[in-house]
Amino acid sequence: MNLLAPQAALAAGVLGALGLGLARRPSALAARLLALAAPLAALFLLRSAVPGVFGPLVGVDLKGLCWQLVIFAGALPLAFLSSGDDVEAALFLGSVLGMSLLAVAGNLIMLFVGLEFMSLPAYLLVARAGEGDSRLRLEAAVKYFFAGALGGALFLLGLALYYADTRSFGPAMGPLGPQGQAGAALMAAGALFKIGAVPLHWWLPDVYSAAAPEVAGFLATSMKAAAVLFLMRVVSLAPDAVFIRALPGLGALTALVGAFFALRQQRLQRLLAYLSLSHAGLLVIGVGAWAVLGKAQAASAALLFYLGADALMSNGSFAFLKASGAVTRADLRGYAASAPGLAAAFAVLLFALAGIPPTGGFVAELLIFWQAVHAQLAVPIVLGAIAALVSLGYCLSLLRDLYFEEAGSAAPAAPEGCAASGSRVVVLVCAAGTLALVLAPLFLRGLAGSVWR
Amino acid sequence: MSELTLLWVLPLGGAVACLVAGRFGRAAARTCALIFGAAYFVVSLAALMPFVATRGVGLDAVGGAPLAFGVSYLLAADGLSLSLILLTAFLNLVCVISSWENDVPAGYWANFLALASALTGVFLARDLFLFYMFWEATLIPMFFIIGLWGSANRRHAAVKFFLFTFAGSVFMLLALIALVVAKHGQTGTWTWDLAGLQGAPVGAAGPWIFLGLLLGFGVKIPVVPLHTWLPDAHTEAPAAGSVMLAGVMLKMGLYGLIRIALPLFPVYAQTWAPVLAGLAAVNAVYGALCAMAQTDLKRLVAYSSIAHLGFCLLGILSGAAQGVAGGSLQMINHGITTGALFLMVGFLYERSHKRGLADFGELANTAPWLSFFFGFAMFASIGLPGLNGFVGEFMCLSGISHSPIPMLDVPFFAVAGVLGVTLAAAYMLPAYQAVFWAPKGPESVSEHVFDLTFRERSILWALCGLMLWIGLAPSGWLDLLEPSVRGLVR
Repeated sequence: MNLLAPQAALAAGVLGALGLGLARRPSALAARLLALAAPLAALFLLRSAVPGVFGPLVGVDLKGLCWQLVIFAGALPLAFLSSGDDVEAALFLGSVLGMSLLAVAGNLIMLFVGLEFMSLPAYLLVARAGEGDSRLRLEAAVKYFFAGALGGALFLLGLALYYADTRSFGPAMGPLGPQGQAGAALMAAGALFKIGAVPLHWWLPDVYSAAAPEVAGFLATSMKAAAVLFLMRVVSLAPDAVFIRALPGLGALTALVGAFFALRQQRLQRLLAYLSLSHAGLLVIGVGAWAVLGKAQAASAALLFYLGADALMSNGSFAFLKASGAVTRADLRGYAASAPGLAAAFAVLLFALAGIPPTGGFVAELLIFWQAVHAQLAVPIVLGAIAALVSLGYCLSLLRDLYFEEAGSAAPAAPEGCAASGSRVVVLVCAAGTLALVLAPLFLRGLAGSVWR
Repeated sequence: MSELTLLWVLPLGGAVACLVAGRFGRAAARTCALIFGAAYFVVSLAALMPFVATRGVGLDAVGGAPLAFGVSYLLAADGLSLSLILLTAFLNLVCVISSWENDVPAGYWANFLALASALTGVFLARDLFLFYMFWEATLIPMFFIIGLWGSANRRHAAVKFFLFTFAGSVFMLLALIALVVAKHGQTGTWTWDLAGLQGAPVGAAGPWIFLGLLLGFGVKIPVVPLHTWLPDAHTEAPAAGSVMLAGVMLKMGLYGLIRIALPLFPVYAQTWAPVLAGLAAVNAVYGALCAMAQTDLKRLVAYSSIAHLGFCLLGILSGAAQGVAGGSLQMINHGITTGALFLMVGFLYERSHKRGLADFGELANTAPWLSFFFGFAMFASIGLPGLNGFVGEFMCLSGISHSPIPMLDVPFFAVAGVLGVTLAAAYMLPAYQAVFWAPKGPESVSEHVFDLTFRERSILWALCGLMLWIGLAPSGWLDLLEPSVRGLVR
């Protein structure tokens, strides 16, 4: 039972949050504590978890364990920023539980269960969490729901075709027939939908920009990590699947689309959404390289590192929106003069998002590019480099607003309250963590021998 | 902590200390910057001393056990590295003293010290991961120095500077990765160690890798089609920022060429040399012609940098002992001379908020010291015998005309170089005349310009003394540089 201890902790958290709702006046503090304690407990229990198999449905491998680490860590900031609503806490913990089920799925059926389990609460979370006008959030949630349902349906259709060809819910034994090829491609499409790879990305900017910042951060980190793992599981089914060859190209295209569309954005959250899309593209290139390199450990370690760094960078930058109350780029003007500490932290996060050393974002990007060069994906690499340059362009222009411009007439009022001070802590911790990650070669040297041969 | 680690950690610690001291007021931060700047200068001088005794022979190194990803903490110093670090420390101190009276917040001083730290790291790193890290880290402080304390068009210039130089660096990074991957294919181990990457079997990707490195270094130098960021950045930066930019940051490109690109690819270094030397010749002439067309004194000095770096590049590419030594000496010379010129343009600008050639006139009357020092540095920049510029340029041109590399010894390159030298007089002298001697125009602000203060004069005495020293007795400096460069560029 040690195998599923993290999941048990999360499930207990969900039940606890639902139980809170039964009280006449649910305690906000208890909901907050629960939302924080359950992922922390899951993280703690992960330490003693070991790979193993539990029936046909559950197979815990090293990758699943490592990925859960990133998923839980990426979810922590949201727990920190939550408004103390018991239903939100339950939805959030339910989604994390779904992700961790996806991570330990032993076959395709369980993978689908995990996928739906993590998605359904997320739709509701987008609609429910946040302040102010709820119409935009509702619209985004409906859009997200339809996109997710479409992705899920594609996956199921693919699963059926794949099963018809291979008679298996696990890896294919022999080469795939045409049916199996189509099935694998459709399943991958389901995964790419979740990641938001071009041309299945249309829902992502709307959802990320309408959701509450902390929810957007959660989607951009934990959800993205789960989706990448989902894609890798599908890729693992059959090494000769044709769709694998399209992955680097799709990734490069996604990176470019994200980078170029972000250029025009005035609303910060939408800009960060496109930036996140651009990062998703880099991840898909990384998955492509991983597949080309025969699923090398070093390549999956690179993806994991990227997701870990992204958990800090994306969560931190979305939390900054909450901490500063800035909505449009104009709100950033001269912000450094009024709040130097927070501005410096955001500057670090921006440099990291653009992949500039000395930040962890640089190391993460380097590792992905490294794997891509190793896999000899020349064209996607050059396109990815161009995307990185473009994203540097608007990260710099944000910094310019932040530091070099005088404050506008209507500076945003700094939000107050528990969630706002929580978000300030998250921004500072994420920025410090991003800086510390640059020392990764130092503190990962124990792994150097086993992974980085 | 070893001495080499101390060299880059000390200014970084100084940057942090300045920020902390800033809490106690601007004067405290300023004092802190001076103390750390001076300490850094002393340490870099002390590090260089053993090499002076051994005439530049020997190697000081810190090697660590390999860390993750094949990265290791490798630092090493020879005469070339330490001379450039000494130049960095010296100019950093010059910057601190020259901006002493500017009412600037702690961040200003912190950025300068952080910049010095990153530059020192670039010159010390022998692990390419480390090298790239420091290389890019130089951009961040300079971005803030230009954007926060520059002149009118500073915001645009800061973003342009960062984007342009980063665009080159991205391709350099890809080239470095490709190199590491190629070596891994041969030996089965990951390494970023510069020495360990020697002779990596790059195969058909070789030219692309070399091109990527050239792009990264070429933007920094800058080689002519890639130079467009330079005039804006140099003109808009504050005076001290321009000093560091022109004095040290441009040298990063040449240093990378000498340390990394040419030694790793000796064959391409020869076969591509005519093309590169052609670009260098274009640099020398085009930079000079552009400088002639300027009406802004600072922009003129900026374009003169492009021309001067062309000479350095010619010397280094020549592969002849004399040319290579001259090219590296000229790197130091240019840092001192152009640093002094930028500093004085900055003094003028601080007093009058003007930089145009037509905005002054008869300055020699109101500011005799300024006109003396400006004339001194200008003649050094033109290459008057007896001053430092002459030695460097002469050796570069003599090297290129005795180059052992086929097609480089044709007279074309030397002639282009001589043309560049002549043109230097043609843009510098009229500018000097217009500002300091010509009759005042109707818009002249010369009467608002008071002469140099004692503090400013002392800095310029030091700089001009160095120009004279190198000009009269270059052998000591050449002894330092030559042995370390000779082994690298053949």
